[in-house]
Amino acid sequence: MNTFYLKVIASDKTFFSGRCKSLVVQTLDGEVGILAHRENVVTAVAMGEIRITDLEDNVITAVVGTGFLQVMNNRVTVLVDTAELPEEIDIRRAQEAKERAEEQMRQKQSIQEYHHSQASLARAMSRLKLTSKYN
Amino acid sequence: MANAREIQSRMKSIKDTMKITNAMYMISSSKLKKAKQTLMATEPYFYTLQMAIGRILRHMSEEEVHNVYFDERKEIEEKDRKKGYIVVTADKGMAGAYNHNVIKLAEEHMNESEHPMLFVLGELGRHYFTKQHMPIEETFHYTVQNPTMNRARNISERILDRYKAGELDDVYIIYTKMNGPIQTETEMLQLLPLKKSEFGPAPIGVPLENIEMTPSPAAVMEHIVPNYVAGFVYGALVESYASEHNSRMMAMEAATNSAKDMLRMLEIEFNRVRQAAITQEITEVISGAKAQKKKKK
Repeated sequence: MNTFYLKVIASDKTFFSGRCKSLVVQTLDGEVGILAHRENVVTAVAMGEIRITDLEDNVITAVVGTGFLQVMNNRVTVLVDTAELPEEIDIRRAQEAKERAEEQMRQKQSIQEYHHSQASLARAMSRLKLTSKYN
Repeated sequence: MANAREIQSRMKSIKDTMKITNAMYMISSSKLKKAKQTLMATEPYFYTLQMAIGRILRHMSEEEVHNVYFDERKEIEEKDRKKGYIVVTADKGMAGAYNHNVIKLAEEHMNESEHPMLFVLGELGRHYFTKQHMPIEETFHYTVQNPTMNRARNISERILDRYKAGELDDVYIIYTKMNGPIQTETEMLQLLPLKKSEFGPAPIGVPLENIEMTPSPAAVMEHIVPNYVAGFVYGALVESYASEHNSRMMAMEAATNSAKDMLRMLEIEFNRVRQAAITQEITEVISGAKAQKKKKK
Protein backbone atom coordinates (compact mmCIF):
# COMPACT_ATOMS: atom_id res chain seq x y z
CA MET A 1 0.00 0.00 0.00
CA ASN A 2 1.17 3.50 -0.77
CA THR A 3 2.21 5.64 2.12
CA PHE A 4 2.84 9.31 2.65
CA TYR A 5 4.82 11.46 5.04
CA LEU A 6 2.73 13.08 7.75
CA LYS A 7 3.60 15.73 10.28
CA VAL A 8 1.13 16.88 12.91
CA ILE A 9 2.42 19.98 14.69
CA ALA A 10 0.70 21.46 17.73
CA SER A 11 1.67 24.78 19.28
CA ASP A 12 3.52 23.12 22.14
CA LYS A 13 4.91 19.97 20.54
CA THR A 14 5.30 17.95 17.37
CA PHE A 15 2.53 15.44 17.86
CA PHE A 16 3.25 13.04 15.02
CA SER A 17 6.00 12.79 12.46
CA GLY A 18 6.56 9.88 10.12
CA ARG A 19 5.07 7.81 7.35
CA CYS A 20 1.50 6.63 7.47
CA LYS A 21 -1.20 5.09 5.33
CA SER A 22 -4.19 7.31 5.82
CA LEU A 23 -5.43 10.32 7.69
CA VAL A 24 -8.94 11.47 8.54
CA VAL A 25 -9.57 15.05 9.72
CA GLN A 26 -12.53 17.30 10.33
CA THR A 27 -12.71 20.27 8.00
CA LEU A 28 -15.16 23.13 7.86
CA ASP A 29 -17.31 21.15 5.41
CA GLY A 30 -17.14 17.81 7.25
CA GLU A 31 -14.88 14.81 7.55
CA VAL A 32 -12.15 14.37 4.95
CA GLY A 33 -9.96 11.35 4.40
CA ILE A 34 -6.52 11.60 2.84
CA LEU A 35 -4.55 8.83 1.17
CA ALA A 36 -1.14 8.79 -0.49
CA HIS A 37 -0.59 10.86 -3.65
CA ARG A 38 -3.49 13.13 -3.09
CA GLU A 39 -3.71 16.25 -5.19
CA ASN A 40 -2.14 19.30 -3.54
CA VAL A 41 -4.57 21.05 -1.27
CA VAL A 42 -4.72 23.54 1.57
CA THR A 43 -7.74 23.46 3.81
CA ALA A 44 -8.87 24.64 7.20
CA VAL A 45 -9.13 22.06 9.98
CA ALA A 46 -12.02 22.30 12.42
CA MET A 47 -11.93 21.31 16.05
CA GLY A 48 -12.53 17.61 16.51
CA GLU A 49 -11.10 14.16 16.06
CA ILE A 50 -8.30 13.07 13.74
CA ARG A 51 -7.41 9.47 12.91
CA ILE A 52 -4.02 8.40 11.66
CA THR A 53 -3.41 4.89 10.33
CA ASP A 54 0.28 4.15 10.64
CA LEU A 55 2.41 1.57 8.84
CA GLU A 56 1.48 -1.24 11.26
CA ASP A 57 -2.21 -0.49 10.75
CA ASN A 58 -2.55 0.96 14.23
CA VAL A 59 -5.09 3.74 14.35
CA ILE A 60 -3.99 6.73 16.40
CA THR A 61 -6.93 8.84 17.45
CA ALA A 62 -6.53 12.32 18.86
CA VAL A 63 -8.52 15.44 19.43
CA VAL A 64 -7.18 18.61 17.84
CA GLY A 65 -7.99 22.29 17.95
CA THR A 66 -8.44 24.53 14.96
CA GLY A 67 -5.75 24.94 12.36
CA PHE A 68 -5.11 23.93 8.79
CA LEU A 69 -3.84 21.12 6.66
CA GLN A 70 -1.69 21.18 3.58
CA VAL A 71 -0.85 18.45 1.12
CA MET A 72 2.27 19.19 -0.90
CA ASN A 73 3.88 16.56 -3.15
CA ASN A 74 2.80 13.63 -1.01
CA ARG A 75 3.84 15.35 2.20
CA VAL A 76 1.04 16.25 4.55
CA THR A 77 1.36 18.87 7.27
CA VAL A 78 -1.36 19.37 9.85
CA LEU A 79 -0.87 22.50 11.91
CA VAL A 80 -3.20 22.85 14.88
CA ASP A 81 -3.13 24.76 18.13
CA THR A 82 -3.62 21.69 20.34
CA ALA A 83 -3.39 17.94 19.86
CA GLU A 84 -4.14 15.42 22.61
CA LEU A 85 -4.41 11.67 22.87
CA PRO A 86 -7.56 10.33 24.56
CA GLU A 87 -5.54 9.25 27.62
CA GLU A 88 -4.07 12.73 27.99
CA ILE A 89 -7.46 14.34 28.36
CA ASP A 90 -8.57 15.14 31.86
CA ILE A 91 -12.24 14.15 31.81
CA ARG A 92 -13.14 15.98 34.95
CA ARG A 93 -11.51 19.17 33.78
CA ALA A 94 -13.25 18.95 30.43
CA GLN A 95 -16.55 18.28 32.19
CA GLU A 96 -16.05 21.28 34.42
CA ALA A 97 -15.11 23.44 31.45
CA LYS A 98 -18.24 22.31 29.65
CA GLU A 99 -20.46 23.16 32.60
CA ARG A 100 -18.78 26.51 33.03
CA ALA A 101 -19.22 27.34 29.35
CA GLU A 102 -22.89 26.29 29.41
CA GLU A 103 -23.44 28.41 32.48
CA GLN A 104 -21.92 31.41 30.73
CA MET A 105 -23.92 30.82 27.57
CA ARG A 106 -27.13 31.06 29.56
CA GLN A 107 -26.27 34.48 30.82
CA LYS A 108 -26.52 37.70 28.88
CA GLN A 109 -23.17 38.60 27.45
CA SER A 110 -21.50 40.59 24.71
CA ILE A 111 -21.00 39.04 21.29
CA GLN A 112 -17.31 38.67 21.98
CA GLU A 113 -17.95 36.84 25.24
CA TYR A 114 -20.55 34.71 23.51
CA HIS A 115 -18.09 33.55 20.84
CA HIS A 116 -15.57 32.92 23.52
CA SER A 117 -17.80 30.67 25.60
CA GLN A 118 -19.03 28.99 22.44
CA ALA A 119 -15.45 28.11 21.53
CA SER A 120 -14.71 26.78 25.02
CA LEU A 121 -17.87 24.70 24.91
CA ALA A 122 -16.88 23.24 21.55
CA ARG A 123 -13.41 22.40 22.87
CA ALA A 124 -14.78 20.73 25.99
CA MET A 125 -17.36 18.77 24.03
CA SER A 126 -14.93 17.45 21.43
CA ARG A 127 -12.67 16.27 24.26
CA LEU A 128 -15.49 14.56 26.10
CA LYS A 129 -16.76 12.92 22.94
CA LEU A 130 -13.42 11.30 22.27
CA THR A 131 -12.86 10.08 25.82
CA SER A 132 -16.33 8.60 26.12
CA LYS A 133 -15.63 6.60 23.01
CA TYR A 134 -12.38 5.07 24.22
CA ASN A 135 -12.66 4.75 27.97
CA MET B 1 36.15 54.05 63.07
CA ALA B 2 32.98 52.15 63.96
CA ASN B 3 33.25 49.73 66.84
CA ALA B 4 33.35 45.96 66.40
CA ARG B 5 29.75 45.37 67.37
CA GLU B 6 28.42 47.85 64.79
CA ILE B 7 30.46 46.25 62.04
CA GLN B 8 29.24 42.83 63.03
CA SER B 9 25.60 43.79 62.88
CA ARG B 10 26.16 45.43 59.51
CA MET B 11 27.76 42.22 58.23
CA LYS B 12 24.85 40.20 59.48
CA SER B 13 22.33 42.35 57.62
CA ILE B 14 24.36 42.10 54.42
CA LYS B 15 24.51 38.34 54.81
CA ASP B 16 20.72 38.19 55.17
CA THR B 17 20.19 40.28 52.05
CA MET B 18 22.66 38.10 50.21
CA LYS B 19 20.64 35.02 51.10
CA ILE B 20 17.61 36.60 49.45
CA THR B 21 19.40 37.74 46.30
CA ASN B 22 21.04 34.36 46.00
CA ALA B 23 17.69 32.57 46.30
CA MET B 24 16.16 34.88 43.69
CA TYR B 25 19.07 34.13 41.41
CA MET B 26 18.43 30.40 41.69
CA ILE B 27 14.68 30.75 41.14
CA SER B 28 15.20 32.91 38.07
CA SER B 29 17.73 30.56 36.56
CA SER B 30 15.40 27.58 36.89
CA LYS B 31 12.49 29.59 35.45
CA LEU B 32 14.68 30.73 32.61
CA LYS B 33 15.52 27.16 31.76
CA LYS B 34 11.83 26.26 31.65
CA ALA B 35 10.95 29.28 29.54
CA LYS B 36 13.66 28.42 27.03
CA GLN B 37 12.31 24.90 26.73
CA THR B 38 8.80 26.15 26.00
CA LEU B 39 10.21 28.48 23.41
CA MET B 40 12.02 25.65 21.68
CA ALA B 41 8.90 23.52 21.67
CA THR B 42 6.83 26.17 19.89
CA GLU B 43 9.36 27.02 17.22
CA PRO B 44 8.35 24.35 14.67
CA TYR B 45 4.69 25.38 14.91
CA PHE B 46 5.44 29.01 14.40
CA TYR B 47 7.84 28.61 11.48
CA THR B 48 5.56 26.19 9.66
CA LEU B 49 2.67 28.59 10.09
CA GLN B 50 4.70 31.46 8.70
CA MET B 51 5.83 29.41 5.72
CA ALA B 52 2.31 28.21 5.01
CA ILE B 53 0.91 31.73 5.00
CA GLY B 54 3.70 32.75 2.66
CA ARG B 55 2.85 29.92 0.33
CA ILE B 56 -0.83 30.73 0.32
CA LEU B 57 -0.07 34.38 -0.36
CA ARG B 58 2.00 33.47 -3.37
CA HIS B 59 -0.93 31.54 -4.77
CA MET B 60 -3.42 34.29 -4.30
CA SER B 61 -3.97 37.02 -6.82
CA GLU B 62 -3.61 40.66 -5.76
CA GLU B 63 -7.30 41.28 -5.23
CA GLU B 64 -7.73 38.07 -3.29
CA VAL B 65 -5.03 39.20 -0.90
CA HIS B 66 -7.21 42.18 -0.04
CA ASN B 67 -8.11 40.47 3.12
CA VAL B 68 -8.98 42.54 6.17
CA TYR B 69 -5.73 41.49 7.87
CA PHE B 70 -3.61 42.81 5.01
CA ASP B 71 -5.55 46.02 4.52
CA GLU B 72 -3.21 48.90 5.28
CA ARG B 73 -6.08 51.41 5.29
CA LYS B 74 -4.10 53.91 3.29
CA GLU B 75 -7.12 56.21 3.03
CA ILE B 76 -6.64 57.14 6.69
CA GLU B 77 -4.22 60.02 7.24
CA GLU B 78 -1.13 59.41 9.33
CA LYS B 79 -2.28 61.79 12.05
CA ASP B 80 -5.71 60.19 12.34
CA ARG B 81 -4.47 56.65 12.64
CA LYS B 82 -5.35 54.91 15.85
CA LYS B 83 -2.32 53.02 16.97
CA GLY B 84 -2.40 50.26 19.52
CA TYR B 85 0.67 49.18 21.43
CA ILE B 86 0.91 45.91 23.28
CA VAL B 87 3.58 46.50 25.90
CA VAL B 88 5.04 43.50 27.67
CA THR B 89 6.56 44.37 31.05
CA ALA B 90 7.16 42.24 34.13
CA ASP B 91 4.91 41.76 37.15
CA LYS B 92 7.74 42.63 39.51
CA GLY B 93 10.83 44.79 39.53
CA MET B 94 14.33 43.74 40.59
CA ALA B 95 15.23 42.84 37.05
CA GLY B 96 17.86 45.41 36.21
CA ALA B 97 16.97 47.64 33.27
CA TYR B 98 14.42 45.21 31.82
CA ASN B 99 11.25 47.15 32.63
CA HIS B 100 12.90 50.49 32.14
CA ASN B 101 13.94 49.66 28.59
CA VAL B 102 10.47 48.50 27.61
CA ILE B 103 8.77 51.56 29.09
CA LYS B 104 11.28 53.92 27.46
CA LEU B 105 10.71 52.42 24.03
CA ALA B 106 6.94 52.53 24.47
CA GLU B 107 7.02 56.20 25.45
CA GLU B 108 9.21 57.11 22.50
CA HIS B 109 6.77 55.60 20.04
CA MET B 110 3.67 56.83 21.77
CA ASN B 111 4.80 60.41 21.42
CA GLU B 112 4.99 59.96 17.65
CA SER B 113 1.34 59.12 17.20
CA GLU B 114 -1.72 61.24 17.86
CA HIS B 115 -4.09 58.55 19.04
CA PRO B 116 -2.12 55.98 20.95
CA MET B 117 -3.77 53.23 22.95
CA LEU B 118 -1.80 51.05 25.31
CA PHE B 119 -2.45 47.43 26.08
CA VAL B 120 -0.13 46.77 28.98
CA LEU B 121 0.82 43.31 30.13
CA GLY B 122 2.45 43.00 33.51
CA GLU B 123 1.68 44.71 36.80
CA LEU B 124 4.71 46.98 36.86
CA GLY B 125 4.06 48.61 33.50
CA ARG B 126 0.39 49.03 34.29
CA HIS B 127 1.19 50.90 37.52
CA TYR B 128 3.68 53.12 35.74
CA PHE B 129 1.39 54.11 32.88
CA THR B 130 -1.60 54.64 35.16
CA LYS B 131 0.47 57.00 37.28
CA GLN B 132 1.54 58.90 34.17
CA HIS B 133 -2.13 59.18 33.08
CA MET B 134 -1.45 57.53 29.77
CA PRO B 135 -4.37 56.18 27.75
CA ILE B 136 -4.32 52.53 28.76
CA GLU B 137 -6.99 49.94 28.24
CA GLU B 138 -8.34 49.41 31.76
CA THR B 139 -9.83 45.97 31.36
CA PHE B 140 -6.79 44.41 29.78
CA HIS B 141 -5.66 42.34 32.73
CA TYR B 142 -3.29 39.55 31.92
CA THR B 143 -0.32 38.31 33.87
CA VAL B 144 2.98 37.57 32.20
CA GLN B 145 3.88 34.63 34.43
CA ASN B 146 4.15 31.25 32.69
CA PRO B 147 2.81 32.27 29.29
CA THR B 148 0.29 29.84 27.80
CA MET B 149 -1.14 29.49 24.32
CA ASN B 150 -4.58 29.99 25.80
CA ARG B 151 -3.72 33.41 27.18
CA ALA B 152 -2.06 34.43 23.93
CA ARG B 153 -5.21 33.42 22.08
CA ASN B 154 -7.39 35.52 24.39
CA ILE B 155 -5.14 38.52 23.91
CA SER B 156 -5.03 38.22 20.14
CA GLU B 157 -8.81 37.70 19.97
CA ARG B 158 -9.42 40.98 21.76
CA ILE B 159 -6.93 42.86 19.62
CA LEU B 160 -8.30 41.38 16.39
CA ASP B 161 -11.85 42.29 17.37
CA ARG B 162 -10.87 45.91 17.88
CA TYR B 163 -8.84 45.93 14.71
CA LYS B 164 -11.72 44.56 12.67
CA ALA B 165 -14.15 47.01 14.24
CA GLY B 166 -11.91 49.87 13.10
CA GLU B 167 -11.02 50.94 16.63
CA LEU B 168 -7.39 50.29 15.85
CA ASP B 169 -5.60 50.88 12.55
CA ASP B 170 -2.10 49.70 13.40
CA VAL B 171 -1.08 47.36 16.14
CA TYR B 172 2.47 47.09 17.43
CA ILE B 173 3.96 44.85 20.03
CA ILE B 174 6.82 45.98 22.25
CA TYR B 175 8.67 43.15 23.90
CA THR B 176 12.15 41.97 24.83
CA LYS B 177 13.79 39.21 22.91
CA MET B 178 16.71 36.98 23.72
CA ASN B 179 19.73 37.72 21.57
CA GLY B 180 21.94 34.76 22.15
CA PRO B 181 22.26 33.08 25.53
CA ILE B 182 22.76 36.19 27.68
CA GLN B 183 22.04 39.26 25.56
CA THR B 184 18.54 40.71 25.57
CA GLU B 185 17.14 43.40 23.31
CA THR B 186 13.95 45.44 23.48
CA GLU B 187 12.15 45.47 20.18
CA MET B 188 9.02 46.81 18.54
CA LEU B 189 7.28 44.90 15.76
CA GLN B 190 4.19 45.57 13.73
CA LEU B 191 1.53 42.97 14.41
CA LEU B 192 -1.28 44.29 12.24
CA PRO B 193 -1.93 44.85 9.39
CA LEU B 194 0.21 42.01 8.12
CA LYS B 195 2.69 42.81 5.39
CA LYS B 196 2.96 40.56 2.42
CA SER B 197 6.71 41.09 2.19
CA GLU B 198 7.21 39.65 5.68
CA PHE B 199 6.46 36.20 4.42
CA GLY B 200 9.31 36.18 1.95
CA PRO B 201 9.48 36.52 -1.82
CA ALA B 202 8.60 33.66 -4.12
CA PRO B 203 11.58 31.38 -4.77
CA ILE B 204 12.97 32.15 -8.22
CA GLY B 205 12.97 29.43 -10.86
CA VAL B 206 10.53 27.19 -9.03
CA PRO B 207 7.30 26.81 -10.94
CA LEU B 208 4.22 27.50 -8.88
CA GLU B 209 2.46 24.30 -8.05
CA ASN B 210 -1.24 24.35 -8.48
CA ILE B 211 -2.90 24.15 -5.12
CA GLU B 212 -6.52 23.61 -4.52
CA MET B 213 -7.86 25.54 -1.56
CA THR B 214 -11.06 24.45 0.06
CA PRO B 215 -13.55 25.96 0.66
CA SER B 216 -11.80 29.07 -0.77
CA PRO B 217 -8.44 30.85 -0.31
CA ALA B 218 -10.16 33.62 1.59
CA ALA B 219 -11.84 31.19 3.98
CA VAL B 220 -8.55 29.40 4.62
CA MET B 221 -6.82 32.72 5.24
CA GLU B 222 -9.60 33.86 7.53
CA HIS B 223 -9.09 30.68 9.50
CA ILE B 224 -5.35 30.64 9.90
CA VAL B 225 -4.44 34.32 10.31
CA PRO B 226 -5.91 34.54 13.85
CA ASN B 227 -3.77 31.51 14.69
CA TYR B 228 -0.75 33.24 13.28
CA VAL B 229 -1.38 36.37 15.33
CA ALA B 230 -1.94 34.28 18.46
CA GLY B 231 1.25 32.39 17.74
CA PHE B 232 3.09 35.67 17.31
CA VAL B 233 1.79 37.02 20.61
CA TYR B 234 2.68 33.76 22.31
CA GLY B 235 6.21 33.88 20.92
CA ALA B 236 6.61 37.45 22.19
CA LEU B 237 5.28 36.51 25.62
CA VAL B 238 7.66 33.60 25.96
CA GLU B 239 10.63 35.64 24.73
CA SER B 240 9.80 38.38 27.22
CA TYR B 241 9.37 35.91 30.05
CA ALA B 242 12.76 34.38 29.29
CA SER B 243 14.36 37.83 29.01
CA GLU B 244 12.80 38.97 32.26
CA HIS B 245 14.26 36.04 34.14
CA ASN B 246 17.54 36.44 32.37
CA SER B 247 17.74 40.10 33.45
CA ARG B 248 16.68 39.26 36.97
CA MET B 249 19.23 36.48 37.13
CA MET B 250 22.01 38.83 36.06
CA ALA B 251 20.86 41.60 38.43
CA MET B 252 20.73 39.19 41.34
CA GLU B 253 24.09 37.70 40.47
CA ALA B 254 25.60 41.20 40.48
CA ALA B 255 23.91 41.96 43.81
CA THR B 256 25.25 38.76 45.36
CA ASN B 257 28.74 39.53 44.09
CA SER B 258 28.77 43.05 45.45
CA ALA B 259 27.45 41.75 48.78
CA LYS B 260 30.41 39.39 48.86
CA ASP B 261 32.80 42.27 48.13
CA MET B 262 31.29 44.35 50.89
CA LEU B 263 31.58 41.45 53.31
CA ARG B 264 35.23 41.04 52.49
CA MET B 265 35.94 44.74 53.11
CA LEU B 266 33.98 44.69 56.35
CA GLU B 267 35.79 41.61 57.49
CA ILE B 268 39.13 43.36 57.07
CA GLU B 269 37.82 46.42 58.85
CA PHE B 270 36.42 44.27 61.64
CA ASN B 271 39.79 42.56 62.12
CA ARG B 272 41.56 45.91 62.25
CA VAL B 273 39.14 47.27 64.79
CA ARG B 274 39.50 44.17 66.91
CA GLN B 275 43.28 44.32 66.65
CA ALA B 276 43.27 47.98 67.60
CA ALA B 277 41.07 47.23 70.61
CA ILE B 278 43.42 44.45 71.77
CA THR B 279 46.49 46.63 71.27
CA GLN B 280 44.90 49.39 73.26
CA GLU B 281 43.98 47.04 76.09
CA ILE B 282 47.50 45.61 76.24
CA THR B 283 48.98 49.12 76.29
CA GLU B 284 46.66 50.01 79.13
CA VAL B 285 47.57 46.89 81.12
CA ILE B 286 51.28 47.39 80.57
CA SER B 287 51.23 51.06 81.45
CA GLY B 288 49.13 50.25 84.54
CA ALA B 289 51.62 47.58 85.59
CA LYS B 290 54.56 49.95 85.04
CA ALA B 291 52.91 52.60 87.17
CA GLN B 292 52.44 50.04 89.95
CA LYS B 293 56.12 49.01 89.76
CA LYS B 294 57.27 52.62 90.06
CA LYS B 295 55.07 53.10 93.10
CA LYS B 296 56.62 50.08 94.89
CA LYS B 297 60.11 51.43 94.39
